[in-house]
Amino acid sequence: MSKVKIRFFAGFIESQTKWLNSMSAKGYRLVKTGKMRYVFEECEAGKYAYAVEYVGDKSFKEEENYKEFLEDMGYTVFYKNMNLDFSPFKITFRPWAEKGGKISSNTKRSTYNKELLIVEKERDGKPFELHTDNEDLANYYDRLSVPWVYGCFLFLLWGILAWPFMPVVCVAGAGALLCGTFFGRARHKIKQILKNNELEE
Amino acid sequence: MKDNVKSGALTEVTFFILLSLYTPRHGYAIMQFIEEKTGGRLVLGAGSLYGALNTLTEKGWIGPYGDSGGRTKEYCITPEGKAIAEKELQRLTELTKIAAAIVEEGK
Repeated sequence: MSKVKIRFFAGFIESQTKWLNSMSAKGYRLVKTGKMRYVFEECEAGKYAYAVEYVGDKSFKEEENYKEFLEDMGYTVFYKNMNLDFSPFKITFRPWAEKGGKISSNTKRSTYNKELLIVEKERDGKPFELHTDNEDLANYYDRLSVPWVYGCFLFLLWGILAWPFMPVVCVAGAGALLCGTFFGRARHKIKQILKNNELEE
Repeated sequence: MKDNVKSGALTEVTFFILLSLYTPRHGYAIMQFIEEKTGGRLVLGAGSLYGALNTLTEKGWIGPYGDSGGRTKEYCITPEGKAIAEKELQRLTELTKIAAAIVEEGK
């Protein structure tokens, strides 16, 4: 029997991972993702482990390559959006992305609404981590932190433009703060990882 | 993954990937090879492995094996990669020789 859940995690990647794993622990396995819809099917409790990865800075081709690689590893991979679809003309600019991924539009061959990958693995007793190498991990969080800076500036700009219309200014301020927090968290992670790295060496 | 090109010192992950590719292997087999050979001490995540494979391909130390007509992509070490691995083996052999002598003396 399938079960539909409505959730939206935006940039809360870790919360999303935790939630998916808790669903698996309750005996539900992900079978389909929509914008805010998650479709689950019953399975043996705890049979699957989930990891969520940010890939919004990759070009379409690179994202496809990576997805294929993960599927070859025996994992099941789902696309997931990180934003809700508010941008006009169904087009977004990602100055932080690598070549070929900077402009993302709502065409088939694009990374639009595919900022995240949800990766599912059959549990084998070992922890499920996609990034294990410290340097690679730091690199990942570095990539993850950049979009938040842009987000923060966009919200600030929005707030300034709306001045002195307080309701919008407040929303924009909160948005900027949230983006700033995400950025700070990612940078903090990097610091921790580099520290660990030194200890190991 | 920082490999010190000047001294020839490779990271453990790099060296193991090169060694695993003396026989053509796909991603999953590389991961298994490393886990098996290190008795599970060194576990490599798929994302990190993907990054490492791309870096090594860019360096020309490994390359795709055969045409990727089959869906699973296989990799193989290149002559350049073999040269790098041999150099690393030499460096490590020398290092263990020196270390063994000193440690033995200090007993």
